[in-house]
Amino acid sequence: MTRASTPAVVTAENLQTHFQARAGLVSALAGRTPPAIRALDGVDLTIGEREIVGLVGESGCGKSTLGMSLVRMYEPTGGDVLYHSEPVTHLKGRALKQYRREAQIIFQDPYSSLNPRLTIGQIIEEPLKIHGIGPALERRALIARALDHVRIPASTHLDSYPSDLSGGQRQRVAIARALVLEPRFIVADEPVSMLDVSIQASVLELLDELSRELGLAVLYISHDIATVGYICNHVAVMYLGQIVEEGPAEDILAEPLHPYTQRLMAAIPNMTPGAVRSRIELKGDVPSPQNIPPGCRFSSRCPFATDLCTSVAPELATLADGRRVRCHLYDGAIAEAYPGLTPPRAEIAA
Amino acid sequence: MTALQDLNARLAQKPAARLEVKNLCVAYGTFRGPFNAIDNVSFTVEPGTTLGLVGESGCGKSTVVKAIMNLLPEATTVTGDVLLNGKNILGLSDKALQQVRWTQISLITQSAMNSLDPVLCIGDQIVESILAHEKIPYGLAWARAAEMFAVVGLPAARLREFPHQFSGGMRQRAVIAMALSLNAGMLLADEPTTALDPIMQDQIMTRIRGIHEHLRRSMILVTHDIAVVSETCETTAVMYAGKLVESGATADVLQRPRHPYTMGLQNAFPKLPVRGTSRQPLISIPGTVPNLLMPPRGCRFASRCPFAAALCHAEQPELIQSSDGHAVACHFAERAPEFRLAARQAETWRAKEAAI
Amino acid sequence: MSQSTPKTDLPPIAGKGMLAAARESFILLIGDSFAVAGMVILTIFAAIAIFAPWLAPYDPFQAMLTESGRLLRLAPPSSANPFGTTAFGNDVLSQFLYGFRVAFIVGLVAAFAVGIISTVFGVVAGYFGGLIDDVLMRITDVALSIPTLPFSIVAVALLGPSIENIVLVITLLFWRNGARIIRSAVLTERERVYVKWARAAGASHIHIIMRHILPNIFRVVFLWITMSVAFAVLTEASLSFLGLGDPTVISWGQMLNTAFSSGSLRTAWWWVLPPSLGLIFLVSSLYLIGRGYEEQANPRLRRR
Repeated sequence: MTRASTPAVVTAENLQTHFQARAGLVSALAGRTPPAIRALDGVDLTIGEREIVGLVGESGCGKSTLGMSLVRMYEPTGGDVLYHSEPVTHLKGRALKQYRREAQIIFQDPYSSLNPRLTIGQIIEEPLKIHGIGPALERRALIARALDHVRIPASTHLDSYPSDLSGGQRQRVAIARALVLEPRFIVADEPVSMLDVSIQASVLELLDELSRELGLAVLYISHDIATVGYICNHVAVMYLGQIVEEGPAEDILAEPLHPYTQRLMAAIPNMTPGAVRSRIELKGDVPSPQNIPPGCRFSSRCPFATDLCTSVAPELATLADGRRVRCHLYDGAIAEAYPGLTPPRAEIAA
Repeated sequence: MTALQDLNARLAQKPAARLEVKNLCVAYGTFRGPFNAIDNVSFTVEPGTTLGLVGESGCGKSTVVKAIMNLLPEATTVTGDVLLNGKNILGLSDKALQQVRWTQISLITQSAMNSLDPVLCIGDQIVESILAHEKIPYGLAWARAAEMFAVVGLPAARLREFPHQFSGGMRQRAVIAMALSLNAGMLLADEPTTALDPIMQDQIMTRIRGIHEHLRRSMILVTHDIAVVSETCETTAVMYAGKLVESGATADVLQRPRHPYTMGLQNAFPKLPVRGTSRQPLISIPGTVPNLLMPPRGCRFASRCPFAAALCHAEQPELIQSSDGHAVACHFAERAPEFRLAARQAETWRAKEAAI
Repeated sequence: MSQSTPKTDLPPIAGKGMLAAARESFILLIGDSFAVAGMVILTIFAAIAIFAPWLAPYDPFQAMLTESGRLLRLAPPSSANPFGTTAFGNDVLSQFLYGFRVAFIVGLVAAFAVGIISTVFGVVAGYFGGLIDDVLMRITDVALSIPTLPFSIVAVALLGPSIENIVLVITLLFWRNGARIIRSAVLTERERVYVKWARAAGASHIHIIMRHILPNIFRVVFLWITMSVAFAVLTEASLSFLGLGDPTVISWGQMLNTAFSSGSLRTAWWWVLPPSLGLIFLVSSLYLIGRGYEEQANPRLRRR
């Protein structure tokens, strides 16, 4: 699937969300402000109609911050969020509330995302009430349809409480609650990572169906690159607040280019008997987003890092096949200037 | 020969342990009656091998480990035998247990943060567990701790640091170092990487595999990740709703499963695509795990099994071992090849879902 | 899927209202025999407080006279005065029965102080956080640094010993602990995923507080109300016993104070016992209810 096939629903343009840490007493008296936490530092991403974009990365890489910034749970500190080409970055009041009808979010933990004191009916009705939709009868019709979409029989479950449901069913209710406002864009933040393996597939399948049937744009956030391949058309890999690689899902899963993506893929245990995984060893831990290394952000851990990498930050460059990679190794001009550089894919294959 | 080499040599002489669990039953006392978390589970870990105990949340796999280590809450009924090198360690007194824990059997827990004391430096915690069992000077115990840090790939200088100064992955490695410090013959690893990021998970598992190759201790690895088991363990036991449903050599169990639940687990497990081959779609298992306060009369998987017949709902299947050591608790185990083919079809499971 | 025809066979969306939730709590309480005992005592006491003027055989300040026309001082229990008389010839039973009223007024005020003032303070500070939290909590800190008994003694002494002033002092003292506890409960609730979700869905603060926060902190508020009421009753008794009570209103503390100051604390047991037992039973009944509720509501405290 090519990117131009569907019209863009949500676009992030050089999006930045920085958090200002609260100063301690001493530094506050000294007039110093602590460095900002650069959770999101210049992200460009487009999610089109009927498209599921996978966003992969480790905890703390800013993938949840991106999701929350796109649905405006956070107000970005720089760049823009466009919804159908209209900026929604700094909307306030009524306009923001209107945008909230269009963009919904589903959280990771199906056990704490539903208020235990409300019935399933009340939970799904809540967004309708918040937005003052319809008389009770119309709301009921909408609730019935939302429950129908997630294949939960309304007749038996309307008056049950979340504690009566299994984890998978709760996550379906959470999806129904997001769907009832008929949004055009849904952020699914690790929707299956707390579910048992045996039911993960059904929730993923549901997201896939909803995207196709209702034409939803979905941002699927996950730390598990293996699940991404099943439902996503397009994948973006994040590291320390930036996208390091982006492209069609098949391409990235078949042949990851960025050393970080390669490591992420190699971390997935393989069930094929006799399969040997080649791993590139990474040094140390992920640096703190308060203290980002100079040059390439991955250079502090990258086994291929050169002097160039530790001094000059690479751009997200578009390759011939349309994929985008943020790595000096794939920049033709630089590779010519530094003949010693070889793209790591050759070494991995060896 | 230095004192440290002497100590290392002495500890290295400890043989790997053999663990035999026989007819283990655990019932938690609850408000609404006994909760049969484990029902008649038996398995054996041969010296120097690793057993992978797989299953989903609530299947009782962690309870097995807790029962072996005698860590279950007071109001729990435990019956059966846990034979460590032929000696029953179930129901030992606290004092007798202290002799067994850490020296013969040690535990790597799920959340490293909870098993480390936040106010003691990590080195002292390891030293403390060594000194509790070895009458050796403090300095020697510290040297041993430093050596264990090297084994798990942490610099010895960080022994002086406190748990909060460690990242999650480093803490987990420190806990592994502690479990290794007395070279216990049996290691129990209860979801050692669950809370970690994928790369860190991989690094820790690689480390555990390396340690296993090198030290040849016996080990039980409890996990929900069948791929990890497939890479790490010689034998695999699959649990479902408090019962052992299948066990045997890992390659047999995971490549040629005989229990429909294991087949379903295989289908549902996300895999990376292999270049040039089309990938199987993910298939989930319909339905939910039965409530163990009121366990069903027949096979516990019957309500979700696409191949269940009337017999399955009426009678519990026994775990029957065939000559190749592959054991399965299914009334129709002999039809496994036929089931395996059908289980790969999404329609098989979808038909069951429609029936529920 | 925008045009929707309002046609559905779905039953109306219903859930538990405040009343149903209260009923549920009540059913929980009924399950605990200690709490039931506490509730029975409390109900009887409340009835006595309401009907005291009709139940009391005499006016509490009416002087009992002997046949010879002298003041009937310190008479032991008899058929005419079942609980005997005081050193001033008043009927102890009548005074004791009127004492219920003060205890209940004080208790209700404390319930109000904790239930309304603490809840508002705690919820506003905990929910909004930031500067609002800082300001409100510093006010609470200042209030918390006031020592209870010295402050009450000085305040009542300055304002004058009247029941209104005692009630005012108790209000001033009792909102502060509750505010802190309720704030910390709100801090936990505020971080729930469904609260985050409601914010992302565009819910107003009022909606979130009424729908998600208050119902979930109700337990904490209820528990603190029972504890505060008990403590407030004791505070009133202490103040009255110290002689800071309203001389025109009969309270149990007041009775003990007069018994003490007239020097009959050791001899006139019939005068001392009723108010003491009244206090003990009232306070314990509240503790029993609180404890029973906590035990039923928190599964970890349930006996297996």
